[in-house]
Amino acid sequence: MRTSVMVGIAGLFLMPLAACGGDSADTSAVTVVETTVEVVANYPVTVGELTLETQPQRIVSLSPTATEMLYAIGAGDQVVAVDEYSNYPAEAVALGTKLSGFDPNVEAIAGFTPDLVVITYDPGNLVDQLSALSIPVFMAPAATTFESVYQQIEQLGALTGHLDQAVQVSAQMQADIEAAVSGITMPAEPLSFYHELDNTLYSVTSKTFIGQVYALFGLRNIADGVEEGNDYPQLSAEVIVAADPDLMFLASGETAAMVAARDGWGSLTAITSERIIELPADIPSRWGPRLVQFVEVIRDAVSQLLASS
Amino acid sequence: MSILGFCDLTVKYADVPAVVQFNDVVRAGEWLCLIGPNGAGKSTVLRAAAGLVGYEGSVAIDQLEIPATSARWRARHIAFVPQAPIIPPDMSVYDYVLLGRNPYIKQFARETAYDCAVVERVTNQLDLTSFARRMLGTLSGGELQRVIISRALAQEAPVLLLDEPTSALDIGHQQQALELVDRARREHGLTVVSAMHDLTLAGMYADRLVLMHQGVRVAAGSAKEVLKPATLAEFYGVSARVHHESDGTVVVIPQRVLPGSN
Amino acid sequence: MTAIVTPPAAVSGADRQTWWFAMSGAVLVGVMIAGLMIGPAGPTWWRVPLELLDRLPFVSVASGISDADWNIVWQIRAPRVVLAAVVGSTLSISGASYQGVFRNPLVDPYLLGVAAGAGLGATLVFALTSSRATVWFIDPLPVAAFVGALAAVFVTYSVGSLFGRDRSPIALVLAGVAVTALATAIQTFILQRNNDVIRQVYSWILGRLSSATWGDVRLVLPYAAASIVVMLLHRRLLDVMRVGDDEALALGVNVRRVRLTIVLAATLGSAAVVAVSGLIGFVGIIVPHVVRLLAGASYRRVLPLSVLLGGAFLVAADIPGRVLSDPAETPIGVVTAFIGAPFFLLLLRMRQNDR
Repeated sequence: MRTSVMVGIAGLFLMPLAACGGDSADTSAVTVVETTVEVVANYPVTVGELTLETQPQRIVSLSPTATEMLYAIGAGDQVVAVDEYSNYPAEAVALGTKLSGFDPNVEAIAGFTPDLVVITYDPGNLVDQLSALSIPVFMAPAATTFESVYQQIEQLGALTGHLDQAVQVSAQMQADIEAAVSGITMPAEPLSFYHELDNTLYSVTSKTFIGQVYALFGLRNIADGVEEGNDYPQLSAEVIVAADPDLMFLASGETAAMVAARDGWGSLTAITSERIIELPADIPSRWGPRLVQFVEVIRDAVSQLLASS
Repeated sequence: MSILGFCDLTVKYADVPAVVQFNDVVRAGEWLCLIGPNGAGKSTVLRAAAGLVGYEGSVAIDQLEIPATSARWRARHIAFVPQAPIIPPDMSVYDYVLLGRNPYIKQFARETAYDCAVVERVTNQLDLTSFARRMLGTLSGGELQRVIISRALAQEAPVLLLDEPTSALDIGHQQQALELVDRARREHGLTVVSAMHDLTLAGMYADRLVLMHQGVRVAAGSAKEVLKPATLAEFYGVSARVHHESDGTVVVIPQRVLPGSN
Repeated sequence: MTAIVTPPAAVSGADRQTWWFAMSGAVLVGVMIAGLMIGPAGPTWWRVPLELLDRLPFVSVASGISDADWNIVWQIRAPRVVLAAVVGSTLSISGASYQGVFRNPLVDPYLLGVAAGAGLGATLVFALTSSRATVWFIDPLPVAAFVGALAAVFVTYSVGSLFGRDRSPIALVLAGVAVTALATAIQTFILQRNNDVIRQVYSWILGRLSSATWGDVRLVLPYAAASIVVMLLHRRLLDVMRVGDDEALALGVNVRRVRLTIVLAATLGSAAVVAVSGLIGFVGIIVPHVVRLLAGASYRRVLPLSVLLGGAFLVAADIPGRVLSDPAETPIGVVTAFIGAPFFLLLLRMRQNDR
């Protein structure tokens, strides 16, 4: 029987295409977050229900975002295996491991004799199975708020013995994001945008984490209110054309040219004035240190538009 | 040897009457043949007796009314051979005949030594011993007939019902089948009721005929009494001659009225 | 005329029967041990049987296996192997029983809606739990799948009995098709509105044994055991039903009750199995056919041999999944489909040649 609390939290699932959000929305401006993790002595360290006796030297990460965080806080040397989607930074790729986070092979994971496994999603019994082998597991679920992002970085810092660096990284992120946001003043009539998940026109509302990133700038999301209760609505071409968003962000891997070629889209403002931004791959779907990049891409697009009008 | 009695047997298919107030008493060891045009209700009478359709009225064996709820009791007293029996091609002859013992084998139990002995005896009697291992799909029409009758005999039921036993057979196999049944009837003291289309054969083998028309019994008696041209014309709508052989056989010969002749 | 002939060995064959059972049992045990020995990590393969021997009472063998490695074998592989055996057995005997009760060689245990109902239940759970961090006392997924499966079959049976005439099994089958279509449509609708869980749902649908724990085995075992026992009890009656409903009835079989009992037992077993391991297809069709090819069409053999060989089949099919796309897992449903599709073509060809 699966009774672990971790499994309950496992409902928060990350698809490669979207960083999913929860339904508590904190769309206010970014505030600097105090560190939430107390440090008494380095080890043993307890985060949540997990206690590590010694510094982990053989970390397995099944979460691409956690991988980025681990390397950013200086724990990269302690990582021995990552999953197939951990494609950043290059050192992670160089490990050459391709574990699966979605269909995990517990034996293969155990084969690395890990002393810490970091996961974002439990496809079923994974935590139980690893526990049965006495392998410590840390659940780093998809972020729902900015605060949870920083908290997660610091938690990983505490677990891996890099708390100082982790605090630094999260402070730097907050500062960078603050700087990017404050440089923009949204006019009284806020700019509207459309974030495209895939070419069947799935989008995200402001209640999702991605949506909150856009909301930092005061942008108006055309997907809001389209379908009650669904945070990942599939919009119809008509809705998009009628809304005529000022900006379009593509997270689908499609190019601006391909979007422009769609029937009936040629008349959209964003297409005629070339306000379609192809988001770099993976950036919108992760909530790690490269979140700053995401924010900056949006800032660049907004400031360009504001400057030209 | 058992008496089979029908009392006010009525069968309705969705309010359409197929058999209406059918009454008859088949004496012990007698062979009764039901005749009549298509849709007369002959098969329905047999199926009702075999418990395959619901009916009003009663069917009784030795004056004991067959309980509607006990299929096993019925199967021990009435063996039914349908018009087109399903022959699983990958079942062995032995296993098929063994099916006839089902009414005696406890639900979740296996057959007993006695059951096996009955199967052997019956297959012996019908010269099927060498076939016991063979699959039904490899048998010829004539061999299959014997197998089918064997299964019915394995039921050790005093009453045997046959629905159109010869309709699908050639003339030689028709004779074989009916001879088999007659032999079995005499050897085991069976009471036989059959439904048949071929009037001459019916007259040859049955002790008594009952003519049905639209669910109702309209004539009964010996072949001579029932098979009369007027009767046949009235109920079959056929124009026929009836010829009486010297040995008493009644032969029905359909007559062709050629256009232009009188 | 001729002397009494003893029933030919092939037919009531006590010896032949024992031989088949012994062989099948041996295959099952052998495959299970192989399942314990093979894996992407863990102990060297020959240590495992030695350790197993060592664990037998009165036997002492030095296997040299480390505790951590044995943990892998016992905590990770063993429940998986046992679950595969239970799932394989249950699905196979359910498929065989359905084939007997509906007299159709192409039916599988999912015929009456078990698959679609379970899928719908699972989808609902994934959709409802995706957007909040709820803590459940017990895992709702197997419960929802189980209930969904039972509900679907209940609807099928009700509709089929209502609209079917003369106890016709065809009405049941058609009702099953309709219920399956409806449940699938509802499932698709829910997925469309909750597309963040699509991957989870399809992963579940493809079937998974890799996450098996002893808890799962304990969950499934009572239902599987009960359902298998009930179906085994009916094996002689299924043989009688091979001559059709009418003749079986005339031979004293309560056809309606047998059909209902078998459907209930098979549904219970299949629903429990699906609830824990997702939809693993083809097992319920392939195994009974293979058993028939080997040991003849009598249900007295097909049912028990399906239990043994069905378990062996799934345990064997689970092994490649572990090592093929190492270090990921190939879902078991994919493996069985790969075996199943060509098998069907073969079956078709053979039937063609029979004519």
